[in-house]
Amino acid sequence: MVLEVDNIELNFKNKRILSGIYLRAETGKVTSILGSNGCGKSSLLNIIFGNLKPKYKLVRVDGKAVLKPLYKTGIIKYLPQYHFIPNGISIKTAFKLFGVDWKAFVKTFGAFERYASYKVNKLSGGERRVIETYIILKSKSNITILDEPFSHIAPLYIETIKTLIEEEKKQKIILISDHLYKHIIESSDSIYLLKNASTKAIKDLKELKDYLSEGQLY
Amino acid sequence: MKHLLIFFHFYKTYIAWSFIITILLGFVDSHYIPAVLTKLFLTVFAWYITNETSNKHRLTFYKNLGISTYTLFFSMFVVDSVLTILIIFLFKI
Repeated sequence: MVLEVDNIELNFKNKRILSGIYLRAETGKVTSILGSNGCGKSSLLNIIFGNLKPKYKLVRVDGKAVLKPLYKTGIIKYLPQYHFIPNGISIKTAFKLFGVDWKAFVKTFGAFERYASYKVNKLSGGERRVIETYIILKSKSNITILDEPFSHIAPLYIETIKTLIEEEKKQKIILISDHLYKHIIESSDSIYLLKNASTKAIKDLKELKDYLSEGQLY
Repeated sequence: MKHLLIFFHFYKTYIAWSFIITILLGFVDSHYIPAVLTKLFLTVFAWYITNETSNKHRLTFYKNLGISTYTLFFSMFVVDSVLTILIIFLFKI
């Protein structure tokens, strides 16, 4: 499957947030979007998912334009920056609703076994993030969007999440964005830089040095 | 079945308020149409409040399950209206 996003224009009041966007992602590859804080990465991901309506957009899946929000097609899952599982839902119910195997999860994240009957709001922010990231990664879908999947997650779990991304990319398009560039670059097969409201495909990591500081990269 | 479970999770956050309002409508001996119109107004109000506050974030949960905001609120209005009519009918007996 190939996902192409083109011709997006988004303005907030008089400020241009996105214009001249082109992005191509395909099954078997992790495509990442890098850019400084507030440059419009999350807005772009929200537009692709269908959460945000821009002035113009063109989303194509396998060359065919998709006119309705992509989430309505059921082929996409989206991990936003914020906690998206409502507070009153138990962890096991969330797994059930998304069709994700709880036993497989506790095999990978053994420390979570005791939380099965807990409501999500009883967990710490980091633990909740692990659960939400796992559910989105393992749910049945063709396209997975991960917005800051490594933020607030313990370093021990970051490596596990990276392994899961590597496994899942075999059958999915994975679009990822995070300000922890080191982890993103390690996990990515193709990189786009979002700067001055438009995207630039990065062919060589050396190019990034022209746009980002050393501190941001390493 | 899965969709019912998802809808139940959405509706349960509103059910207590809705029930209190229905009981009040029952006490004032409301007719069916004004009661349903009241519920329509309250559904639109709940939609507005959800969209204008951080509650909007939880809609992403339902969108990830393929359910739009419109479908959620419309289903809530239909179910809520049926329950309202039943409760008011019981008050009238």
